[in-house]
Amino acid sequence: MNARRISIWVALVLALLGASSALWRAHVRHQIRVTHGDSLWRVRYTVDFYAEKRGARLHLASPLDTAQSRVFRQELYHRGLTPARHMAGTHNTRELDLAADREGALRVTAQFDIHVSPESNWRAWGALDAPAPLTNATPSAAVASALAELRSRAATTNTLVTTLFNFCADEIAEGGAEDPGDADAVLTRKSAPPGGKARAFAALCHAAKIPARLVTGFELDSDDEAHPTVWTEIFLEKKWQPFDPERGLLGALPPNFVPVRREATELAWGTSIRDVKTAFSISELPPPPGVLATGRRTVWEILDLTRLPLETHQVMALILLIPLGALVTALFRTVVGLGTFGTFTPTLLALSFVYADWRTGLFVFAVVMVLGLISRNLIERLKLLVVPRLSVILTLVVLCLAFCISLLDYAHLTPTPQAVLLPMVILTMTIERLFINMEEDGARTALQRFLLTLLVAACCYLVLRWNTVGHFLLAYPEIHLVTIAVLILTGRYTGYRLTELWRFRDLARQP
Amino acid sequence: MKRTWSWPGELRRAGVLGINRRNIELVLPHNPRVNFPNVDDKLNTKRLCEQHGIHVPRTLAVIERQGDIQRFAALVTAHAEFVIKPASGCEGRGIIVIAGKRGAHWLTSSDEALSLDDLRYHLSAILSGLYSLGGQDDRAIVEQRILRHPIFSDLAIGGTPDIRIILYRGVPVMAMVRLPTRQSRGRANLHQGAVATAIHLVTGETFGGVHLGRAIATHPDTGAQLAGRRIPSWDIIIASATQLAGVLGLGYVGVDFVLDASGLPVVLEANARPGLAIQVAHGFGLTQRIELIEQHLDDGDDLPRATLLAQLAALA
Repeated sequence: MNARRISIWVALVLALLGASSALWRAHVRHQIRVTHGDSLWRVRYTVDFYAEKRGARLHLASPLDTAQSRVFRQELYHRGLTPARHMAGTHNTRELDLAADREGALRVTAQFDIHVSPESNWRAWGALDAPAPLTNATPSAAVASALAELRSRAATTNTLVTTLFNFCADEIAEGGAEDPGDADAVLTRKSAPPGGKARAFAALCHAAKIPARLVTGFELDSDDEAHPTVWTEIFLEKKWQPFDPERGLLGALPPNFVPVRREATELAWGTSIRDVKTAFSISELPPPPGVLATGRRTVWEILDLTRLPLETHQVMALILLIPLGALVTALFRTVVGLGTFGTFTPTLLALSFVYADWRTGLFVFAVVMVLGLISRNLIERLKLLVVPRLSVILTLVVLCLAFCISLLDYAHLTPTPQAVLLPMVILTMTIERLFINMEEDGARTALQRFLLTLLVAACCYLVLRWNTVGHFLLAYPEIHLVTIAVLILTGRYTGYRLTELWRFRDLARQP
Repeated sequence: MKRTWSWPGELRRAGVLGINRRNIELVLPHNPRVNFPNVDDKLNTKRLCEQHGIHVPRTLAVIERQGDIQRFAALVTAHAEFVIKPASGCEGRGIIVIAGKRGAHWLTSSDEALSLDDLRYHLSAILSGLYSLGGQDDRAIVEQRILRHPIFSDLAIGGTPDIRIILYRGVPVMAMVRLPTRQSRGRANLHQGAVATAIHLVTGETFGGVHLGRAIATHPDTGAQLAGRRIPSWDIIIASATQLAGVLGLGYVGVDFVLDASGLPVVLEANARPGLAIQVAHGFGLTQRIELIEQHLDDGDDLPRATLLAQLAALA
């Protein structure tokens, strides 16, 4: 069998394998319903606020995963705001970060779909964090006196926690929502508004040198006007354990308690914004197809990358799009016949533009290229050896990038200055190639080639920005077997390149 | 009316070979990778030529290490004219032709004055792989400059024309002569603006012509007719090219010759992926000729080489 036949067969087998695996899994996904006892919930935030200037930031805390609940989908409606590409946040929060495009009243709606399963054991978010070092701050008089009294009732530290909890749960009365909710007031008045007991409990634990933190979250229960609820987490036996004195829950919470933010209570906050109004609604979703059962684990799950924590989705989807960028480049080179500087330069450039805002990216790119070429021209006079010379250019590119980002930030010209990370080595080599090409073949040819590189990069950019496809690939990464098949066929393409139809036009022979 | 576009069917009819087909059907199957160094490193090509009695420009010096660059001036004191080229260069990149000396400066064939520092810098750029194929470390060859044959005096501006023979499975398929122009700055590379004209395989007479991808009849700088020149020593060129293709072990290869002032053909280099512009110079494609050779060689008929060449040359 010759190479051509083998290639076609290999491509056929790969394409078939990829497509059938994806179809089969799509079918199976369709059949498996959520296991009995599981439930799906939708938590919806509606945040209205006033942005005092362009670039004002809004942060939203998104629900966190616990061993029994997991966010499997999130959607964000944000007219007039630009989301930062990455989920930011410390280990305490999972944050969405949005920048206002203009001054004025804005609204953001965020929707989180959560899968709750009493049987499951997902990776819980932040359960094993090391506690912050205890401070030596003296507790307030109210807290100290309450603690002194309670300490006499308890024999050991372990029982002290229980004693403190029982005190908060049983001996503090439930007050009205308007009552003062801080620990001092609650302990003095022996009456607490919602959340007050948790605060009092946390303050008592702190005073007793037991690591404690407040958690704001939701109890999932259908409600159009839901309110966040507050409970306490105590660091016991090397992990954080939930305690809810209000409901008398100790050491474990029902699966439908979903934490959102730790240490702080606002779920929407920001800078240069005011009049923040938040409303929450919670509704139970009918069990749809597409959520894998948790009870039965199958090896096939490995193929489904949507299983991975939400934070990795964005990056994973982008990584999975890279082969499509390579495919675009391959098609441009072998079918269209456009030459570019470097094989993967367009893909990598496009990748960096996806991370940055493209206007910012283009500005920085232009500045780096122009300054790079000017300095390359000056460096030519120094007659340096190649490796040190390239390194000088790389250094200049790095400096140029750093200062561009700083400049943009200084001028408040970009919502996401931190994300303009162009591929520096690629830029360096492009500058060097462009310069040599200009010297050898003239500025016109070099510029032409450079513009073609940008054109291909632009096409790659359009592909890489294709979020829907990225997320589809996340669910069915085996589709890339089809990509390989197409690449193999491209690699065996013996037809004319489009540019050859122009290049050899004088040879055309009519029948 | 000049066309701006052609359809694939029209090109197929003219037997035009595209780059993809060249790579997949000629280069990949007929040029074993192990033999690539024979042409990618010009020092290897030179050595093989010398071993088989094929003429090449005399090597004056080979500079292999940055340290040797210091001794460069001493190496070339005896020579007023020489050529510096990277051993693994491509597309004529990194080649400097020194045509004389004025004071402390060397003059290139296009009358540019270069200082010793300039040359040293250029040599060091060559050694560090700036012009080499994969960017790996390279060597610089300093060799005898070949003066051009008078037949080309009104056809070449500022440089030496070269004659390229493309061979398929050891049989010459097409030949052309590439003529430097003002635009190509003395270099014989078509994409840099040099002119090419086709050569009849049997008679060695030129016909057709191409400049920047378009068919032409006269030299753009001098206005001289391109067609109708008989290349001297044509039989020797064909014989040397055929011999060299066998030595190199490449089934699809381009061999570049220059004619020195006395008419002696000298091999400059060989190329495992010769370009396709030669087809435009001819006014028709390579495919029919390739197929004819395939037919004869696969049938195993012992057709005399001269008859085969005549049959090839008759295809148009």
